[in-house]
Amino acid sequence: MKSSLQPPATPNGPGQWVLLSYRLPREPSTPRITVWRKLKRLGVAQISDGLVALPADARTREQLEWIAEEITDFGGNATLWIAHPAAIAEERRLAQAMADARAAEYEALRAQAEEAARDQPDDERQRTVRRLRAELRRVQRRDYFPPPQRRAAEAAVAALRPVNTYSPSSEENSA
Amino acid sequence: MKWATRAGIHINRAACVWLIRRFVDPQAEFLFVTDPAEVPADATPFDMRGVELGHHHGDCSFETILRRYDLTADPALQRIAEIIHEADLDDERFDAPEAPGLDVVLRGLSMIGDDEHTMAVTKPVFDGLYEYYRRATLLGREPA
Repeated sequence: MKSSLQPPATPNGPGQWVLLSYRLPREPSTPRITVWRKLKRLGVAQISDGLVALPADARTREQLEWIAEEITDFGGNATLWIAHPAAIAEERRLAQAMADARAAEYEALRAQAEEAARDQPDDERQRTVRRLRAELRRVQRRDYFPPPQRRAAEAAVAALRPVNTYSPSSEENSA
Repeated sequence: MKWATRAGIHINRAACVWLIRRFVDPQAEFLFVTDPAEVPADATPFDMRGVELGHHHGDCSFETILRRYDLTADPALQRIAEIIHEADLDDERFDAPEAPGLDVVLRGLSMIGDDEHTMAVTKPVFDGLYEYYRRATLLGREPA
């Protein structure tokens, strides 16, 4: 899991991105919120109002297609584009912004895991580890340019796992 | 009947193919296209943008097909629909711990073979899942 700000596909030039350009009526606000939550969950880069981007692969393209379909169902309009940023520097900026957003999420997870390891009794810690594992998985799913903080968060959450009560020494004692 | 969908099938389309063949049209013939414009006039498109048998109002195509062909009363299919929904959309509408595992299996399959291969391998997988949830429904608990 090395840190990389280079989307796949092209080794030298900028990679392929999938862009969703959309418009939804201001009212009612529920569809706007539903759509925004889904986009956030996917970890999109917001380029401007009503224009979001993800590095293109089969999954991101499909997920944005379905959100486009939902926007249409809500009475809005949506167009999907496959694009290359014109300059590598622009792509780096986009990728860096996405990596920074994930880094902040990983940091928050690591802090929560370390706090639980320090302060929580066993039963409470078990509930915390379940919650943090689920949250970690959600963040990993929207992590396209893994920042170094990813490893630290994974390690901190993994360290919360219940202590093994069955150890070789206890086996010897009971034998 | 002819049915058409996008090439490069993952879990949702693999499950739809299985569902159509087993419950809707045993003689179904499947075509895989790269653009919706390539769907022949005599084929029913599914799991593509802008078609009836696609994603609608937060449902995935598998759920849309269940509704369209009056299959929603089968609890085993309903459970499979929840798993497919979570594997495809991952929006936590349902509690389906089976979903992430099945999703990874399908993603891996798509890396080592074409759509025909994925369909051939997943048919017994979905048959087995259906049987499992059918027995679970009859027993009212997890079957052995």
